[in-house]
Formats: sequence, C-alpha cells, structure tokens
Amino acid sequence: MRSRLRLGDLFGLGLRGLAARPARAVLTAIGIAIGIAAIVAVIGISASGRADLIATLDRLGTNLLRVTPGGGVLGTGSEVPEEARVMAARIGPVESVTQTTRVDATVRRNDLIGELETGGIGVLASRTDLLGELGGSVREGRFLDEAAIRGPAVVLGSVAAQRLGIRDLDPRPRVYMDGTWFTVIGILEPLELHPDVERAVLIGYPVAEKLYDTTESPSTLYVRAEPDFLNDVAEVIPATVNPQSPDAVEVTRPSDALQARRAADEALTNLLIGLGAVALLVAGVAIANIMVMSVLERRTEIGVRRALGATKRHIRIQFLFESVLLSGIGGIVGTALGAGITVAYAANRDLTLAVPPPGIALSIGAALVVGALAGLYPAWRAARIPPAEAVRK
Amino acid sequence: MADPVLRLHGVSKIYPGPPEVRALDGIDLSVQQGELLAVIGPSGSGKSTLLHIMGALDRVTSGTVEIESVDVARLSDRALSGLRSHKIGFIFQDFFLINGLDATANVAEGLVYRGMRRRERRERAQAALERVGLGHRLGHRPNQLSGGERQRVAIARALVGDPTIVFADEPTGNLDSHTSEEIAELFTALNDEGATLVVITHERELAERFPRIVELRDGQIVGDHAS
Repeated sequence: MRSRLRLGDLFGLGLRGLAARPARAVLTAIGIAIGIAAIVAVIGISASGRADLIATLDRLGTNLLRVTPGGGVLGTGSEVPEEARVMAARIGPVESVTQTTRVDATVRRNDLIGELETGGIGVLASRTDLLGELGGSVREGRFLDEAAIRGPAVVLGSVAAQRLGIRDLDPRPRVYMDGTWFTVIGILEPLELHPDVERAVLIGYPVAEKLYDTTESPSTLYVRAEPDFLNDVAEVIPATVNPQSPDAVEVTRPSDALQARRAADEALTNLLIGLGAVALLVAGVAIANIMVMSVLERRTEIGVRRALGATKRHIRIQFLFESVLLSGIGGIVGTALGAGITVAYAANRDLTLAVPPPGIALSIGAALVVGALAGLYPAWRAARIPPAEAVRK
Repeated sequence: MADPVLRLHGVSKIYPGPPEVRALDGIDLSVQQGELLAVIGPSGSGKSTLLHIMGALDRVTSGTVEIESVDVARLSDRALSGLRSHKIGFIFQDFFLINGLDATANVAEGLVYRGMRRRERRERAQAALERVGLGHRLGHRPNQLSGGERQRVAIARALVGDPTIVFADEPTGNLDSHTSEEIAELFTALNDEGATLVVITHERELAERFPRIVELRDGQIVGDHAS
C-alpha cells in the first residue's frame, strides 16, 4: 500500500502547473532565454571569428621576422652593409631572406602636382620575391619580375593606389617620380601586417640604382626561419646584419599583432560569457522567486494533493520539475536564438560559421542546472507544508 | 462485532503556544464498517482537528488512532501518504477542485497517486461521476458547474478509489438549503451502497438526517447517540 506517481503524470503536472499561469511562465523563461542566448551567441561569434583569425595566422605564418638594421626611420647614420641580406641568409635556421630599401624619390600622379604633396607615399626598391615572402597577392596586374625591375615599372601598395586615385590598370596609368614616368603594372591586395608596404610604391633595385643612386643596403629585411629557432635567430641577427652598431637593429615579429588581437578577443569573449553567466544567475534567482510565490499561492493545492495521497517527495519533485521545465524551455529557446544570431552575424561578416555542438549541449545543460538549483528551495518549502494546515479553512 | 475501521483512544491534540491550545482532549471514538455518522459541534469545538487526525493528515499529541487496526502513529509520513491514497477519501467545504480540468479529470486526479494508468483512471472517474448523478457533466469544468454539482464532483473524487472511509468537512457549508438537502440524500444513498462516511458539520438539521450523531464541545465528546 504505497503512493506512486508515474513519470508521465509528473510531466503532466509540471506542464499543467506552468500552463495555469502562462504569462508568468513566459516572462520567467525569457530571463533564462536571454542569458543562454547571450552565452551561445558570444561563444558562436567568437568561435567563428577565431576560426578566421587562425586561418589568417596559418596563411601568413608566425615565423617571419621584420628587421630594420638601421634602426627604423630615424636611423643611426651608420651605413648598413650591402651584404647584410646574404649574411642573414647564412644563419643556420634561416629559410629565406628578402629586403626593401627606401628610395630617395617622390611619387606623384603627374608632373603638375607639387613635389611636397606626396600623400605620405614612400618609394621602396624591392626584390622580385618580396610579395611571396610577405604572403601577399596582387589585386590587379602582376608583381615585379625580372624584366620589370630593370625598367620604369611600378607596383602600388593598396593604400598608395587609393591615395594616388588609381583603381585599375585600364587605361595603363602612369606615375611621375622625380623626372621619370613609371608605368603601373600591378596593384596589391591589402597587407594587414605590413602597413609600410601598403603605403608604398615598389620599383626594382636595378632601376632604382640607375635613376636614384639607391644601394643594396637594406632598410628592412624580412627573415623567415624555422619556427623552433625563431628566438635564436632574432638574437644573433643584429650583430650579423649590422656589425658596426648592432644596438640600433630592431627585430619585430609582425604576427605578434595578430596573436595579441587573438588574446584580446579571447579576453573579451570570456568577459561576455561571464556577463551571460551573470544574466543566467539573475534569471535563476527570478525562477526561485517565482516558484516560492507559486508555492505560497498553491498551498491548498498542495494540501489537497497530500490528502489524495501524495508523499512529501511527490510534492517536492512536482515543483522541482516545474522549475526545470521552465528553465529548460528558456534554455532551448535561448539556444535557438543564440545560434540564429551567430548564423546571421557570420553570414553578414562573411565569417566561417562555427557553432560548436558541445557548446549547445552545454548551454542547455546549464539552463537545466540553473532551473534545478533555483527549484530546490521552493520545492523543499512546498514539501514541508503540513497537510492539515494547508487544507484548513 | 467486527473490528472497527476507525478507532480513537484517549486522543489529545495540543497546539504548542503561546498560548497553548488544547484542541482535542481525551477523545474515544469507534466507527464501524458501513456507518454514516455526523460529528457536530459549534465552531472552535475541535471538529476540523478531529477530522484531520481521523484522516491521518495530522498527528496526535497523545492517544492512539487505529485505521483497520493499524496504529497510524507508528507510520512514517510516506506510509501515511500511502494509507491516504488507498484507504481514505476527503471532501472539503470549498470543494478544492482544479479549475483548468474538467469533471472527469478532476475526479481522476484522486487516483494519480496510486500509479494507475490514465485510461483506467478516466474510466473509473466516469463511473464515479455516474454514481453521484453527474453522468451528463463529464466534460464540464468547475466554473461551468453549480455549487452543488461541484461538491458532487468532489464527492466522486473522494469515492473514486473505493476508500475504506470517507471524511467530509462541512460539505454543505457553501451550499443553499435545497442543494444541501440533495447532498445529504446523496450521502445516505452512498451509505446504503456500503460507503463508510463521517460528516463534520455545525448544522444540526443536516446531522439529524444521519443515523448517528457525535457531539463535540471544547475538544471533548459530550454526546454520542442515534438520531
């Protein structure tokens, strides 16, 4: 002779309990839905963004060092040896080296524009392998090749092209550099890690030497080395490329900027997830609040159920289940909402969509846990009500 | 004579104060199978407390309560719940029906804690509603029913599990005199079919329709006689 409650009936009781006050149930579930949606969207968007960042890092590689042997723009005045590039290439783990050298010339759209109005565009002498070493590509035309480096041919960085007002190669545009007209043979795609190249026009070393007395002494060296020995290479490079004043040599790793962005992204993501968790917590407190209220209002129902044979445990799981049901519904709606936001954002920003399924399972699980925790106290209170008092008039 | 279905011996109930309230004071009472009796007394005489103790909803301070010769004081809360679900039916003054459910579902709710399947619950609920004369109101919700009809639904809910004994707490307290009459007749008819009923009331008129009257005053039985 025992009281028994079927699982299916428990389900019915829970649904009926919520359906009896639909507006209240919806409003309470919205809290959970918002918290979960925020967490899912943040995880989804940051995962999608990170996927793109990682792809960029993979493409550009993290093993490139940028070396300014003369100490950047200000320099030391001491001459960097012309054979610096060859010396650097001799360091064991170094895979390849290329270089650029600042050319003492100005570039203008035509000869009618004043010599001082350069728009901040520099002129660089470049080797034919520069673009490949930087992981860049041309948007229009072609890069400098063996033929082009000897003649009046120029390739424009993306920002330089924009400032010069040259959008494409039709009809064959030319630029004016200190008395000589150069034909534009190519325009580069943006090089996000190399703003100095983006803002420059590139010509070959032979033509630079002939027209502007440029030497092979590098302004910037680009050194690609075996990743495991990158730090060792960075250490020996200054003395190798500028034995006279190694202290003036600056060595940087352009990919550090991306890594830093990634770290910043992660920090921001964690912060937003934290905020979502707080929202979830607040929603949990709201559920607990509503359930306590519900227990007070439904004292008689509790008394009648006890009179009909419900055990304390039956009352407890009825209210606990209602609470879990409430948060579960909120969790499912919130997950759908968050996934929707992620899909829309990724589509809008052209990102690789990455909503991790474990994340979705986890967020619904989190909602259920919040519901269960929020329901514990109200359920305990409901079960503790003495039946005789609950049915008293 | 057979063992009584319900026996109270020296039952006292004290609500700890302050001020301490002695709601029941040395009650001795036996109810036989198939009896229909009224417990009558003015308000504050301890009627409701007695009903809750007889129905195993509340525990005594001292004395014993036996239902079918089992001392309920020794039972755990869980066992008491089992006892209520199988052996005891309750009818309340305010009916206490669930508003969102129709008559059949309300009556079937009386079997939920027996672990019975839904279909069987509904079949039994319909039979119980026929028994109280509401066969034509199976699908009506409480707010579509009159007061008398609601109380009939509550009576059907109390009877649906074929309990050993049914307790009614002021069952006509919210009904007009004509409807009260009908409910009293229904109790008599159900008793004729074999149900054991204890009706608590403060209306002497209602009590006098039943074969036995127990009079309660200040927590003590002051009269127990056939009407």
